[in-house]
Amino acid sequence: MATTCDFVEADNAEAIITRIEHKSRKIESLLKQLKPVEALKTALEGSPPNTRDERCKSANWIVVHRALMAIKDVDGMFSSLDPEYYDILMKYLYRGLSTGDRPTCDQCLRIHEKLTERAGLGCILRSLADTVNTV
Amino acid sequence: MTAIAVHQFAHCITCHAWSPDHSMVAFCPNNNEVHIYKSLQDNWERVHVLQKHDQLISGIDWSVRSNRIVTASHDRNSYVWNLEGSEWVPTLVILRLNRAALCVQWSPKENKFAVGSGAKTVCICYYEQENNWWVSKLIRKRHDSSVTNVAWHPNNLLLATTSTDGKCRIFSTFIKGVDTKDSKAGTFSDSKFGELIVQLDLSFSWAFGVKWSASGNTLAYAGHNSMIYFVDEVGPSPLAQSVAFRDLPLRDILFVSERMVIGVGFDCHPMAFAADERGIWSFVRFLGEKKTASGSKYGSQFSEAFGKLYGQPRQGVGNDSVESSRLRGCVHENCINCIVPLKEPGGRGSTIKRFSTSGLDGKVVIWDLEGQDDLSQYL
Repeated sequence: MATTCDFVEADNAEAIITRIEHKSRKIESLLKQLKPVEALKTALEGSPPNTRDERCKSANWIVVHRALMAIKDVDGMFSSLDPEYYDILMKYLYRGLSTGDRPTCDQCLRIHEKLTERAGLGCILRSLADTVNTV
Repeated sequence: MTAIAVHQFAHCITCHAWSPDHSMVAFCPNNNEVHIYKSLQDNWERVHVLQKHDQLISGIDWSVRSNRIVTASHDRNSYVWNLEGSEWVPTLVILRLNRAALCVQWSPKENKFAVGSGAKTVCICYYEQENNWWVSKLIRKRHDSSVTNVAWHPNNLLLATTSTDGKCRIFSTFIKGVDTKDSKAGTFSDSKFGELIVQLDLSFSWAFGVKWSASGNTLAYAGHNSMIYFVDEVGPSPLAQSVAFRDLPLRDILFVSERMVIGVGFDCHPMAFAADERGIWSFVRFLGEKKTASGSKYGSQFSEAFGKLYGQPRQGVGNDSVESSRLRGCVHENCINCIVPLKEPGGRGSTIKRFSTSGLDGKVVIWDLEGQDDLSQYL
């Protein structure tokens, strides 16, 4: 819920960065263990900080991007990804598409197709309407 | 198949309402008029055109007991229409708004009506005998955005509103001289006019289509993010459930029983939601997924037996490729924005078997839940 205030002070931002670094280390170790779906779950979890601080947002995106690009088998990913992650995953996919980077867009489109099949247009609407999670 | 009659009345319909005996339907064909059609034998004939508003009519409600029509319009006024002889005579209600009126509903006792508006305001209007005048009392500074829908609690005192600020709010509308203190409002009977009883912050996007169940125990409303919210024990500590669904968002909803809700909206198909034994709400299925007898001109008195006759053969057909037939064989071809119950005249029960929907495709469709085995357990 939107309990965090809209703008964070500098030390709050620092705390968020520390959290993201911690998340990043966890994802790296999961990727080394060849658990890309677990890594993606970790990336999507620990809700993205509700902050307008661009530094936090891009640091968080780098981590999620790393996990997102590690997904090779999209169908396999969905068989072990719970529906509760769908809305937030969709939101990150649009963030990925907005980068305009070719490999990122390719990957995001690939996942987007499967995700829309599974979660429907409602999922896209929820990701668009979501104002709590800034990605 | 549950759609038993489809009537193409206009190019687009913003809202509609039925006469107490369901022999007439009033709707706004996306302009400043209200058209009233009456069913005569096999076809529908236009019997009245109510012309008084200057701009688009956004809400119509037809009171059951007093047979009065109230309309709300973007011209910021309301009219109460009384049938005198064969003419509908309008009475202007000055709402004192500076933005469009968006929705209107009679209270259960029909001594008040509520208007939601783009002026972040709700008007509660009541009749003042001595001045022969409808007075509008405003609930101001409570909404942060337009009020999209209003719904009266069966106790005639509480009013629920949804707004484009994403919130659902419940107000007391106690008016001295109109309401009596001894009404069965329970704990809320002492509240003053305009007092905010509870504010529900479940949605983060526009909220639409608030409704109470017949008992007033459950409240439901839809969010523009393809979610529907159910609230039990409305009061200091409400119990809320959010249900996400996979299709386009809802614009309006209707409780057909304490355990089942029909939602209509941008998906063009009514959706059924139901609560299981533990009270957990979930999406059940779409209504009318199979191809329908479109263009059939049957009256609302259409017998139930005939409806079954039409329904069952088709029910067997459409099992193949649900997805594609769902898109082609729509009953409605555009967003549905209005759903109205068709209560049986003598029926005292709280379940509703029939209802009608209208939408941007200009159709009024009558639906019947009779003979739907999977849904009848929730009725």
